[in-house]
Amino acid sequence: MLRRIFSIAANTFRETIRNKILYAILAFALFVIGMTFFLADLSVGDFARIIADVGLASIHIFGVIMAVFLGITLVSNEVERKTIYILLSKPVRRFEFIFGKTLGLSVTLLLTTLAMATVLFLVHFSYRYGGRAEVGIFIASAGIYMELVLLTCLASLFSTFTTPVLSAIFTLSLFLVGHLTKYLYVLGDQSKVEAVRWASRFIFYLLPNLENFNWKNEVAYGGLKSFSILGWAAGYLVAYAACVLCLSCLLFARKDFK
Amino acid sequence: MIRQGPILSIERLSKSYPTGFWRKPVRVLSDLSCEVHANEIVGFLGPNGAGKTTTIKILNRLAFPDAGKVTLFGGQVRDGADVRRRIGFMPEQPYFYEYLTGGEFLRLCGQLCGMSRADTESRSSELLSRVGLSGARDTAIRKYSKGMMQRLGLAQALLHDPELVILDEPMSGLDPMGRMEVRGIIRDLKAAGKTVFFSSHILSDVEALCDRVIMLHKGRKVAEGRVEELIGAETLYIELVVSPVLPADRLAAAGIPPDAGYAQGALLVLRAADNEQANRWIAGLLREGGTVLSCVPVKKGLEEIFMERVGGSDSTGATS
Repeated sequence: MLRRIFSIAANTFRETIRNKILYAILAFALFVIGMTFFLADLSVGDFARIIADVGLASIHIFGVIMAVFLGITLVSNEVERKTIYILLSKPVRRFEFIFGKTLGLSVTLLLTTLAMATVLFLVHFSYRYGGRAEVGIFIASAGIYMELVLLTCLASLFSTFTTPVLSAIFTLSLFLVGHLTKYLYVLGDQSKVEAVRWASRFIFYLLPNLENFNWKNEVAYGGLKSFSILGWAAGYLVAYAACVLCLSCLLFARKDFK
Repeated sequence: MIRQGPILSIERLSKSYPTGFWRKPVRVLSDLSCEVHANEIVGFLGPNGAGKTTTIKILNRLAFPDAGKVTLFGGQVRDGADVRRRIGFMPEQPYFYEYLTGGEFLRLCGQLCGMSRADTESRSSELLSRVGLSGARDTAIRKYSKGMMQRLGLAQALLHDPELVILDEPMSGLDPMGRMEVRGIIRDLKAAGKTVFFSSHILSDVEALCDRVIMLHKGRKVAEGRVEELIGAETLYIELVVSPVLPADRLAAAGIPPDAGYAQGALLVLRAADNEQANRWIAGLLREGGTVLSCVPVKKGLEEIFMERVGGSDSTGATS
């Protein structure tokens, strides 16, 4: 089983890294991150903080674009191009296909996030006014990467049953909502109606809480030095991604290919 | 001799596809039942939309039936990986990962089928050479022609040495040479003890290759049987070739009506309805000084039977 999952993952990785649009997005992201070197000169105050702040925001935004762009076509491309016919006629179970595809894309996103984080680290380190080796950039980037993996799982879930355009809309909506769920919890808790409080809590726990992976501010203000913070976030990612992937597999298990 | 059970059994298979939220689903298969036994070549015939590809998709778990049962090697089709290892499948107009080379794609297929690297490499070389693609092993699939894709599709279906080979339109997109090669491969599979189930529009290929045929129309089986039984059952007419072309008055004297045939160069071709009429005509022709060069009973071909069954089932919804 693992061999088949890894074979599909390796093939997905090979497919995504040969995607020219991915390179275009990555090149633009690296350009923007590189430009923070000059952007800091235009700002007032803590110049290095501006580099970390804008750089991490760039990694986040471009990472989300890559994850959504590649994630929404993860399954639909295989169906549209009919390559899935040959794959699923082999001794491959459908859940192995979903796991393999998601794993392959996650490896691609790991490399792109690492490339962006490394460039940002070097820009930050080499900045002439207060530049330093900021390990927090890698910690925050690890958080961003975990968020991207979760978005990939969500995009692949949507791509099992709807069109790429709708998948993109759903995934981006959850991305936005996922950064605002704490407000839902707070607002719900202020209600005097018990049912509303329960409903808001239920929705809070149901929706992905992407703020669990957000340490950009802590890094920008130099307050994040330890990798231990990743443990809780990784646990949340594994639990949530497992639920999403199981749902994808359930929906995909009885899908007809016309 | 004890006859083994079928390796593929389809029982009362039905399938509909939804066409929209408010619209009625379209039924593509109705109560289809058939069997394929070991070491047979079975042709699956039918016009576009007959339900051939849907049936083949159900056999390969790419679609699920609304009702009915498919049994492969004695177990139900959903039994999964162990059953899949014994089946090779080539879809209609196969598509592959264009960024891979032919060799890389076969390596991927080998990994998915649980083959060792050494086995995959040796089988790939053997099969690529068999389908005429050994020179294109390291060429990116995006550069392959339609015929080359078809050949690669055949190679991947046979890579893991399956017992049952299911081919959806294997001749489509191939030139005459390619068709001849595929026919040779199918015959070799039978000689090696394999079972082949394939759909095709090319009736001459089916007639030349198959032990049995199953004809489908509008999702229903309209005929099934051994090829020689189907095509040998009925004589259409008896064709007489006569020299020279006799004038109308001498034909009339021989008891042959003027519209019984036509002139083809220096020869006269006549079509007698049955043996008795042919005998009478031959006697008359000899009497009038003609020479009968040949006398051949023309049987119904698969094409005639196909047209008859497919046309006839429109109104009756006939089954076999």
